[in-house]
Amino acid sequence: MKNMMISADEKKLLRKVEIRSHTCFLAATMVNMEGNGFTFSLIPAIEEIYKDDPEGKKEAYTRHQQFFNTHAVPFSFIVGLAWAMEKEKKEKGSVDGETISSVKSALMGPTAGMFDNLFFNCLRIIAAGIGIGLAQQGNILGMVMFILIYGVPQSIVKMWFCRLGYTYGTAFIDMMFSTGLMASFTKAASILGIMMVGAMTAQMVYVPLNLILHIGPATLEVAPVLDAIFPGFMSIALLFGYVALIKKGWKPINLILLTMVIGLVGALIHIF
Amino acid sequence: MLIAALKLSLLYWLLGILDTAALGWQALTRPIVVCPLVGILLGDVTTGCILGASLESLFMGISAIGGSIPADATTTSYVATAFVILTGADIESAVAIAMPIGTVLASVTMLPYGLFSPIQGFFTKLLQDNKIKQYEIAVWVFTFISPLINTVILFGCIYFGVDALQLAIASLPAWVMTGLGAVSSMALAVGFAILTSQIMNKETVIWFFVGFVLVKYVNLDTVAVAVIGAAVAITIFLLEKKIIENKGKPESKEEEEFF
Repeated sequence: MKNMMISADEKKLLRKVEIRSHTCFLAATMVNMEGNGFTFSLIPAIEEIYKDDPEGKKEAYTRHQQFFNTHAVPFSFIVGLAWAMEKEKKEKGSVDGETISSVKSALMGPTAGMFDNLFFNCLRIIAAGIGIGLAQQGNILGMVMFILIYGVPQSIVKMWFCRLGYTYGTAFIDMMFSTGLMASFTKAASILGIMMVGAMTAQMVYVPLNLILHIGPATLEVAPVLDAIFPGFMSIALLFGYVALIKKGWKPINLILLTMVIGLVGALIHIF
Repeated sequence: MLIAALKLSLLYWLLGILDTAALGWQALTRPIVVCPLVGILLGDVTTGCILGASLESLFMGISAIGGSIPADATTTSYVATAFVILTGADIESAVAIAMPIGTVLASVTMLPYGLFSPIQGFFTKLLQDNKIKQYEIAVWVFTFISPLINTVILFGCIYFGVDALQLAIASLPAWVMTGLGAVSSMALAVGFAILTSQIMNKETVIWFFVGFVLVKYVNLDTVAVAVIGAAVAITIFLLEKKIIENKGKPESKEEEEFF
């Protein structure tokens, strides 16, 4: 592929982003998980790309503040890819913000699943097996081996992945754009993206409803009834309630405060 | 005892930040690393290593499922190792009490997650006001401050013992714990809602429900959903591609006018 060579300036920037992409769990909250790590990793890139476009910069930062969550290693690949997409968006206008968000959402679930299995469930077990063997005899080398086998390789792969995401991302978008297929790609990416958001919502969002209605002498538990109608009904209702509020111009901070009030008051009056 | 508890709390605080926020490895907070380090600090490396091996085997199969951690391996390693080295208890009894300690600590160490959520609005505001340096400082300060609650809890566990912690939790009104738990599991919906509102449009929103149903009804994991989703996305991509290619051909002109 052409475009795989990168200039000296890009190399410098790449090094910065690579190092920063180690901080994927930086300031993680329940609202956007690795969103701050993602933003922090991309700061040098976004500052460079949008240095004369304050409005675009603001949009880019807001975009990467969104919820993000995957395994730490493919995190770097997606950071590199997002960087390439931001660059193409600004320089050639070939990508829009929606596509960047869609591609990120589409990738986080499956990469998390794949790399959790590869690193957490495979390499970690191997490293622990070797480490435990040594540590059982009171040997400090057990600890050292565990770090060398499980910790250090993550950094090496991350460095490589970041570069891979950036170079291949640029080449891929150029190819799509030159063949006039960017609009089709955008649509396909947003379908996959929204589907993964649906899957992750089903997996992670949970409304711990514990409401019991007293109708005369009879009691009725609400949660099982709702689940019988549509499993996870409350999670979907909550999510689209928030979406409606966002469309009305509600700020995320107010949504979070609302959640805290609902949670605590709800627990106080025995809804949860 | 006070010095030991202080030393271990400091190690817990800094190692947690180094491992999760700075390196992203999630390797240095495992029992096999923590126990030997605690051993070094308390002057008994051999016991630390042996306990590390036992606790690592014990916690190896336990991982976070759906955001809730059944037992916290990290804090348990600190408490159990300190218990053995400081009181001279045997390793077998420490391993036996490790799991109950882990369960108590896991329920406590998850609480700050829900509690700290509102700060996210402040972070985004800083970026939108183009205060990039302030943002960078703020996220790092937060990273250093947010583990302090758990650090104090760990200090209490080592200094006063785990029983004291259990008593303290029991004295909290029940609704506080339930409420904070509810906030944690619902706060995620805010993040997903922001994401959904960004990428959703009338044509694609239906696929949200396909993804949701595949997990809720069929119990597929995300990789399986991604394969199905990719098949759908590729099919649509190829269909659109064909339509675009046909547009260039003369015989499709009539069709275009028709539409």
